[in-house]
Amino acid sequence: MTGPIIKNNTITIPSLEDYLPDVDNFVEDILEKYGLNKSVIADIAISVTEVVVNAIIHGNKSILEKVVTVTVDKTKTAIEIVIIDQGEGFNPEDVDNPIDDANLLKEVGRGIFIVKSLMDDLKIEPSLTGTRFTLTKNLQ
Amino acid sequence: MKLSDYEKDGVFILEPKGKIMGGPDATLLHEKLHECIDQGKKKVIINLSGVDWMNSTGLGILISGLTTLRNNDGELKLANVTDKIQSLLTITKLVTVFEAYDSVEEALKSF
Repeated sequence: MTGPIIKNNTITIPSLEDYLPDVDNFVEDILEKYGLNKSVIADIAISVTEVVVNAIIHGNKSILEKVVTVTVDKTKTAIEIVIIDQGEGFNPEDVDNPIDDANLLKEVGRGIFIVKSLMDDLKIEPSLTGTRFTLTKNLQ
Repeated sequence: MKLSDYEKDGVFILEPKGKIMGGPDATLLHEKLHECIDQGKKKVIINLSGVDWMNSTGLGILISGLTTLRNNDGELKLANVTDKIQSLLTITKLVTVFEAYDSVEEALKSF
């Protein structure tokens, strides 16, 4: 796979952070079509990039041949984003509390904390063939 | 993300525009910050007025710049922090770490 592949409401990318803008543009375009306001779109977009970075680095270990898929869906009550990597399963919550004073100046380790703050729900399902993240933002 | 910079009153001002989310764009800001430090520019302002949002990668770059400058007797200050970024700084308690000003002029005066 040499670049992003888009099919309906799913984008698939190789494990390279260079493709983050492609994922962001894809997700934000769909969310704009759903008529969401800019602030909500930003919350979701930030969260998606956090999880995709985790999936690339910690899930797929930046192995280019492994892919990350991002699917955007809207139900009657929520926006649901499913992100799947092809790693061996990992627990992204296994990090120090980023808001402890001792950790404030650490450069990494805030991603999942931010996702939990911005989204209404984050479900993480690790398996030996990959981790599935489901991000939910309720529609007001 | 696009990045421009200029110098005023001995202070180096960086102006990223767009989104800071990781990948090559974020590397650009990281490298520019460390280039300032390598060149002995110890007073730096990042004007965030043109940044729509950033994620934890962006926050990590700001922290890296801040700590590296402080370790070299310098200082990094923020100006024009947008609502979305202010919200992230609050959530992550980084609001207690960064000095932020409503304008570049105010940030300049604070040095």
